[in-house]
Amino acid sequence: MSDSSLRDRLAAVVADLMRADARRVLLGEDVADGGMLGLSRAVMKDAGLRARVCPTPLTPTVLAAHAAGLAAAGHHPVVVLPGVEALLEGLAGLREAANWSWRTGGEVPVPLCLLAPCGSGLGRGGMASEAMASMLTLVPGLTVLCAGRAEEAGAWVRAAVEHAANAGPTVLLLPRRLLLGASPRAPSEDLGRPPTAAHRVREGDALTVFAWGEALPVALAAVDLAGVEAAVVDVGCLAPLDHLRLEDEARATGRLVIVHPGPGPGGVAAELAARFADAAILHLDAPVVRVGGAEPPLSPSHEAAATPRVERVAEAITRIARY
Amino acid sequence: MDTTPWDPEGAAALLDAEGQLTGGATLGGVDAKGYYKQLVAARSLDLRLSRAGVPMWASAAGEEAPLVATARIAQAEEWIYSGGRDAALAMVRGMPLPELVARVFGREGREPPGRASSPARRIAPATEALAMHLAVGAGHAHGERLAGTGRATFVMCGEGSSTTAPFAEVLALAASCDLPLVMVVRSQLWPNGAPAEAGVLGDSVADRARACGLWARRVDGADPIAVHNTIASAAERARLGRGTGLVDVVVTSLAHDPPAHRDPVERLRRFLDGRGEWSTTFQDVVEADVRARLDQAFSQLEDSA
Repeated sequence: MSDSSLRDRLAAVVADLMRADARRVLLGEDVADGGMLGLSRAVMKDAGLRARVCPTPLTPTVLAAHAAGLAAAGHHPVVVLPGVEALLEGLAGLREAANWSWRTGGEVPVPLCLLAPCGSGLGRGGMASEAMASMLTLVPGLTVLCAGRAEEAGAWVRAAVEHAANAGPTVLLLPRRLLLGASPRAPSEDLGRPPTAAHRVREGDALTVFAWGEALPVALAAVDLAGVEAAVVDVGCLAPLDHLRLEDEARATGRLVIVHPGPGPGGVAAELAARFADAAILHLDAPVVRVGGAEPPLSPSHEAAATPRVERVAEAITRIARY
Repeated sequence: MDTTPWDPEGAAALLDAEGQLTGGATLGGVDAKGYYKQLVAARSLDLRLSRAGVPMWASAAGEEAPLVATARIAQAEEWIYSGGRDAALAMVRGMPLPELVARVFGREGREPPGRASSPARRIAPATEALAMHLAVGAGHAHGERLAGTGRATFVMCGEGSSTTAPFAEVLALAASCDLPLVMVVRSQLWPNGAPAEAGVLGDSVADRARACGLWARRVDGADPIAVHNTIASAAERARLGRGTGLVDVVVTSLAHDPPAHRDPVERLRRFLDGRGEWSTTFQDVVEADVRARLDQAFSQLEDSA
C-alpha cells in the first residue's frame, strides 16, 4: 500500500532534487524521521544525503527567517512544513525572508522553497478550513504555487524548488486530499510549462471554470456532472497571478465560474473576479460567480465542507451556462 | 572600592574603576590604543548623529564597547547581524563615512533611517520584525556549519529583545543545531529600576542562555578589555565548532548621566593614561581626525540633498 502512495512518490522527487544539487538542504520538524507526511523518508534512506538534512526544534516563528539565513550563507533550503498553518505563526519571518534579497539590493539571493500541506484531509478542522493561501499572496516578493492534480504533484515539487533557485522564496501548497491519495499510474515528470503560468486542463467553449488546489478535481468533476462544454483552467500560481493569460481565458468564453477551497470573502478568487471585471468586462455575458467552501471556523467533523461540493459547483456551472 | 547601584552584579571585569588591570589580568593581545581610537570615533559619530536629527534615532553613547569589539573580532568574511544603534559597526568595518551618513539618513540602501548595513562589509540589514534578525543570523551560522567553513556568525541585540519569541526560538535552534553563533546582548544598567520594556526578568540574560545549555558570560560593558576578550573567546569557540556563545554585556547609557567610571571610553582612557600612553595632544588629534571626516561626510550629504 505504501508503495503506491503519492507521498512516497513525492519523497522520491525530494531525494532526487537533493542528489541533483549539493547546495540543497532539507529543513523542518521531524525531517530526520521522514517528516510528518513522509516527504523526507527517501532522503533519509540515502546515507549520502543525510548530512544535508537539518531537523529543527519547534520554532514556527523563526523557521522561514532561519532558512533565509541558510540561503544567505549559500545554501538552497527546502523547508518541509507540517502545514501551511505554520506560516501563520511564522508570517513575520516569512515576510523578512521574502524581502531579504530586495533589502540587500539583490546582493543576497534567497533560493528558499517551502513545501506546505494545506486544506482538509486529516480531520483537524480549524485552520485547515481557512484561506491561508490568500494571506500568503499578500507577502511581497513571495511566489505562491498550488498543486491541483495528483499526476502533477511530483512535477510541482520539482518546479517549485527550481523556481525558488531563480526567483527567490516560493511556497508550494500541497493539498492534503492529494497527499493522502494514491500515486497516479502515469505521473508527469515535468510540468511542461513555467510554474507561474495558468494552464488549461480541459477544453470547452461554453464557459470557463478557474480553479486551483483541491478545488481543481472538484471543478473537473462538476463540469462532467453538469454536462457542459466548459474550459477548466488551473490557476496554479496564486502570486503573482498570471494576469494576461487568465484574462485571455476569461475573454474566450465570457462566462466565468471561479472554484476555490476556503471561504469566499476576500482572497484570490475576489482578486480574480475584480481583475476580470476590470480587464474583460466588455467580453462578459454573465456575472462572475465564485464558489468556495463553508464559512470557518469548522469543526473537525465538518472539515470537508472547506472544499465546495461537486453538486454545488455543477449547479453554478449550469446556471452561468444558461444565463 | 565599594559597589554602587551603578556597578552591575555578577558581571566580569578586567579593568577596575580607575582603569587598572585587576588580579593579574592581562590585555590578551588587544591593541588598546587602536581600540581606544575606534571607541572615541564611535562616540564622536554617535554624538554627531544624535544632534543631526535622524528620525527615531536612539543614541548608543555608553554602549560602544560591544559594537567596536564585535566589529574588530569578526573576520572579513564573517557576518554581523545587528539590531540597531549600530552605526559604529560600519565605521569600524571600513565603510566610508559619506556612505555611512547617507545610509543612516535613509538616502542610500533600503533600510529605515538609523541603520548602516552593507553586504559588501558583511553587515546584514535590519529586519522590520522585532528580533527577527537573530533568526536570519542563526540560519547563516547554520549554513556556515553545514559548509564547514570554520566561520562564526555574530548577532547582536538589546536585552529588551530577550523576551520576544524569536529570541527564545533562536536559543533553541542554537542549542539543538550546535550553531557557530556569537550572540552579543547589550543589557542596560537601570540603577533606578527597569521599565517593563527592558526585558529584565529578575535574572540575567546570560543565566537564561546558560539554562538552555549554552556557553554564556556576563561582562561589564564599562570595561572594553573584558568585553573584547569575552566576545573573542565566544568567537573562537564558535570557529572551533564548540557551539554558540552568548555574551551579556551590561552597558550604561550616558543618557542616564552615570558616574565617569561607567563610561567605557573614559575607562580605557584611564588605562592608557596609567601606562603613559595617553595625553591631551593624543586625544585632540584623535578627535580632530574623526571630526574632519564627519564634517566632510555631512557636507557631502547636504550637497546631495
